[in-house]
Amino acid sequence: MGTPSKRERLGLQLQLAISRLLSPIWVPALAAVMGGPLGWRIEGRAELRRRYAELRRSRSGPLLLCANHLTMLDSFVIGWALGSPAFYLRDFGALPWNTPERQNFASTWWKRGLAYLLKCVPLERGADRVQVARVLDKVVHLLRRGQTVLIFPEGGRSRSGRVELESAAYGVGRIVRALPGCQVLCVYLRGAGQQSWSDAPRRKERFRGRIRAIEPKSDQRGLRGSVEVARQIVATLVEMEREHFHDRQ
Amino acid sequence: MEAGEIQERVLKILTPYVKDAEALAKAGPETNILEDLKVNSARLVDVVLAFEDDFDIEIADEDVDAVNTVGDCVALIGRKL
Repeated sequence: MGTPSKRERLGLQLQLAISRLLSPIWVPALAAVMGGPLGWRIEGRAELRRRYAELRRSRSGPLLLCANHLTMLDSFVIGWALGSPAFYLRDFGALPWNTPERQNFASTWWKRGLAYLLKCVPLERGADRVQVARVLDKVVHLLRRGQTVLIFPEGGRSRSGRVELESAAYGVGRIVRALPGCQVLCVYLRGAGQQSWSDAPRRKERFRGRIRAIEPKSDQRGLRGSVEVARQIVATLVEMEREHFHDRQ
Repeated sequence: MEAGEIQERVLKILTPYVKDAEALAKAGPETNILEDLKVNSARLVDVVLAFEDDFDIEIADEDVDAVNTVGDCVALIGRKL
């Protein structure tokens, strides 16, 4: 994989610095909105946070988060599920970067500003492959520098409402293979009322989450190897989904 | 292998992924796979893997970034053969 240009690296560094500087305002504010007016709750949140903090402490290499995807606000809920505002203010690198679809927030200047502040590297779905590769290079760069990044390996919200193995986007495999020793933390989070995909979870939603750390590998070379790694990650999410529904019965 | 023969095989491989059959019938080296043939971007990887199988070649991740048109595919495969 390539390396971001000097200008792009400086851009990311500046974005991180501004985001961190303002984090004492926006991190607690976001958590307060989710837990307050939106009334969201996460079952077993303390245990999820304890395990994530432990993993973050004990990691020996890059840590990539890969999750199922049902709403446009999943990255906020996942961030909130895995750490308290105090934890993120202490370890800002643990608060994951995101790669949202550019169209979802490109409409107004304040949405673009918010995305910048919230550690987002926008991605244009269906864009020229070279553009997509540049975003992947930025993600690899951030992971190498000890930042965590959240990726939705299905490439978009699950249209069937379930994790789809066939939707595995190979880019995530490419990222993992570019980073020797990269651990992948698979995150499965779903609200009790989430039957399918939507723009946002309902008010007073009750989420249940589970996490599993894996180190996907492939003996295959080239593109085929990246595809295999991506499928291992999505297959883990499929298994976690099965466990989720089994537990609910 | 001649470029014309490679292109013929490339178009055959693309056929099940193409949503605009009319565009496929008129496809040439300049035809854009995603925009003109309306191949789903997520399926482009499957197309490239099919190239690997059909031509018995190995394609690197980075090579896929340069694949935009039918002509790009033909050039890429020609280099690998």
